[in-house]
Amino acid sequence: MADDDRDTPDHSVSRRAFLKGGALATGAIGSTLLPETAEAQLPIATEPDPRRSVVEMTVNGVAYRKEIPNRTTLLQFLREHLALTGAKMGCDRAQCGACTVIVNGRNVYSCTTLAVEATGAEVLTIEGLATGDALHPIQQAFIQHTGFQCGFCTSGQIMTTKAFLDRVPHPTEDEARRALSGNLCRCAAYKRILESVMTASRLMQA
Amino acid sequence: MAQQQGARNLTVVGTASPPIDAVERVTGQAKYVGDIELPGMLVAKVLRARHAHARIVSLDTSRAEALPGVKAVITHKDAPKVPIWGNRTYALNEQVRFAGEAVAAVAAVDEETAEKALRLIDVKYEVLKFVLDPEEAVKPGAPQLFPDGNLEGQPRVLTRGDVERAFAECDRVIERVYHCPTMWSGGMEPRVAIAQWEGNKLTLWASTQAPCRVQTNLTGQFNLADSQVRVIASYVGGGFGTKSAAHVDETIAALLARKARRPVKLQYSREEEILDSNTRFETRVYVKIGVKRDMTLHAMDVKAYINQGAYHVRLGGLGNQATHIYKTPHLRTVQYRVHTNLPNTGPTRGVGDPQETFAIDSAMDEIANEMGWDPVEFRLKNVKRNGDPIARGGTGPEDGRLVTQVTDRCIEEGAARIGWARRNAAPGAGQTGPKARGIGVAVTERGNGGGLAGATVTVNLDGSVVVFYASTDIGTHSRTTLSMIAAETIGVALASVRAVAGDTEVAPYDGGSYGNRVLYSTGRAVDAAARDCREQIFATAAPMLKASAADLELRDGVVRVKADASRSLPLRELMQRRGRSVVGDGNVAQSQAEVNVERAAGAHFVEVEVDRETGKIRILRYISAHDVGQPINRTVVENQIEGGTIQGLALTQAEEMRFDPRDGRCLNANFLDLKPPTMLDFDARVIEPIVVDNVGEQGPYGAKGLGENPCHPGMAAVANAVYNASGIRLRRVPFTRADVLRALAEQRTGVSRTA
Repeated sequence: MADDDRDTPDHSVSRRAFLKGGALATGAIGSTLLPETAEAQLPIATEPDPRRSVVEMTVNGVAYRKEIPNRTTLLQFLREHLALTGAKMGCDRAQCGACTVIVNGRNVYSCTTLAVEATGAEVLTIEGLATGDALHPIQQAFIQHTGFQCGFCTSGQIMTTKAFLDRVPHPTEDEARRALSGNLCRCAAYKRILESVMTASRLMQA
Repeated sequence: MAQQQGARNLTVVGTASPPIDAVERVTGQAKYVGDIELPGMLVAKVLRARHAHARIVSLDTSRAEALPGVKAVITHKDAPKVPIWGNRTYALNEQVRFAGEAVAAVAAVDEETAEKALRLIDVKYEVLKFVLDPEEAVKPGAPQLFPDGNLEGQPRVLTRGDVERAFAECDRVIERVYHCPTMWSGGMEPRVAIAQWEGNKLTLWASTQAPCRVQTNLTGQFNLADSQVRVIASYVGGGFGTKSAAHVDETIAALLARKARRPVKLQYSREEEILDSNTRFETRVYVKIGVKRDMTLHAMDVKAYINQGAYHVRLGGLGNQATHIYKTPHLRTVQYRVHTNLPNTGPTRGVGDPQETFAIDSAMDEIANEMGWDPVEFRLKNVKRNGDPIARGGTGPEDGRLVTQVTDRCIEEGAARIGWARRNAAPGAGQTGPKARGIGVAVTERGNGGGLAGATVTVNLDGSVVVFYASTDIGTHSRTTLSMIAAETIGVALASVRAVAGDTEVAPYDGGSYGNRVLYSTGRAVDAAARDCREQIFATAAPMLKASAADLELRDGVVRVKADASRSLPLRELMQRRGRSVVGDGNVAQSQAEVNVERAAGAHFVEVEVDRETGKIRILRYISAHDVGQPINRTVVENQIEGGTIQGLALTQAEEMRFDPRDGRCLNANFLDLKPPTMLDFDARVIEPIVVDNVGEQGPYGAKGLGENPCHPGMAAVANAVYNASGIRLRRVPFTRADVLRALAEQRTGVSRTA
């Protein structure tokens, strides 16, 4: 099953091309974010372990293929296997939303989604929202209104906002409040989060 | 006042700059402790007792230790016999005093192995009788948690005047009881600690508000010098007091790491965070209050039971509402600090002040209504004003005078904003439909900071500035406000300043981020360090500009001769010619007596709607008027007021920790059942902050602390508004719909169903 070519589908950059092309120029990207090749990750197993599976998914536009324990949640996969730590563990019970990421266009609690469930999916995390140094309008709006205090829930708030505004570009304030009600902010910066969402909606039309 | 500010010609302080770390926070780049991975790092898990009170008879870890992948197992035998911060005996104890207490811990190569190892630890307990209620716990024959009894120390007693005689002089005296149960109070980020040993040097990353306190605790646990323990807390996902002192998790992580000879990460689950951090302590407050016909608050007698649970990181107790907010010539407060078999308690936002404000300002409202007085007029008549006596020692004789006190103005401005005059003249008057509206008020105050504060400010060879401080930015944006102080004092743009927070190795000792103190105390240390920098810069510039240092000024990053602006030198060029960095030292020791005379007041006004059919209390409008002295950053101030107000309101609605009376276990140690407010629970748009114009004396640029205060008045303000709307009086939080409906039924039938 370990086929080198399948690790780097056409729409993605190969490790070699990535290193040649841009990694030096964009030194800000850490090496941990590089997709790992199958040969580095997966020695050919002699006996398949039923407790492990191979997942393939595209995260922030980069294709990944990894063998992981079946119990791995999408949150653990992102944080521990891909070093994408923007999504946070706040409750591990789908009760706070700090772990929110976007899977195939929908905001999900990654703490209660198994990574194997997301196989084949397009995943977007907070790390994939900005384009280079240009912040996404939602991020700009959260800064403009200081829509956060401690920032621990902020990634989740922003990703929920992204999925929501993609679906409902011109929401009312009450629609936005309902859409964001699955994301706790213990600092209770709710007034500013709501203002951020409404401003983001306007910025995204511009 | 405005003239004074204008005269100071501030350019950075008082603006509404976005946080300097905003990009990190909105892009997921801000690294919290849980985001850190070290090579070879192990995963730690904790075994917790399910008994509220028990003695460990035997503990067999051999099977866990034999499991492949397990690198260390620790029990009470491994814990140093050095008390953890506060009074908690040791990091792991032979006697278990609450359901959820740690009894053993494991470090393994991965989470699955660590969890499996926990199940292989065999613990045999002698189960003991337990007690949960603070008044039961002090009765003879109650189960004893500690050899010297459940009552900690002597009752804390404060008296002024002669209460017994004074009540005889009153025209009206009432007695009431107000109850706040044990409540959750944590932040979004559960506790987490990473420990790494290099020889005898320990580095510990912790989600803490007070790195130096954690450091002090660890040096004691492991008999090390301060120089051998480095504590780092860069980004912290909220604290609210629950992370304001050392706790067992840091020591457990360090013990495991030392035994395993590998770095260890101990990440609490949400349930662990709720059970084994700080909870807001239960208070049962008996208030006797007496007034004279001329509207004088003449005497108050307050007796409080403080349920400290099994352990605490700081002695629990009420705050200073009874003593400091009203003149009250005759006063007695007696507090019983009691241990029971409930989880840890400790400071939580406002510490005992929200509970005390609920009691005192409800009682104030009750007696004003009984006398037919306007509650605002009654408060204004009795509230302490600027220049009134205050106990410099906090509790002793009133030997000092209040400075820059504006409680009266907070009340007046809040009352004007909400339209106090339109409240119901009598409770429920004119509210004939199923939905009754009313307006309520509550007043509060608190001191600011104090203790040892330190900071270092460096000016680099390119003129850029770094602020180093060992307190943390727990969401109060102290990185930003402290940088603004440095920018203002030195005379550079905020954009050229960066702050390094929460690292004990690079910054001098500082108490931590709690008790309204970072801005007030650490901010003064930053100001002192920045002044030191400016002096050194002037000393360097003077010969270059052929002027004396006293004749120089530094603004917008350019040093100039005051009298001749054409003689100037950009800071960058000056620093390059100087060829040495500037290091500014700032250390401030503020005594209690010094800080106690300057306090920050607040007044909250709320309009509610009580649905008499469903029992729902809706907040229609909420005015939070606060004295913050000179605002350093206006956005930060409003953000704190809005958030703190909602946290105070949350106590009226939910967040009670419920315990099974049969076994003492917590029944709702999760978000779904504790119900911290979501965006839908309170409409944050109805909260209007008022920043009362004022400039303090002691804080940097006249700033005062703010973090705690907005959380104080919510419970009392809502209770008083519910009374004004409907005539029912709520004396226990949270105010559930069932409570409201029961009170309404009692009101209709005249029959009380409460014991």
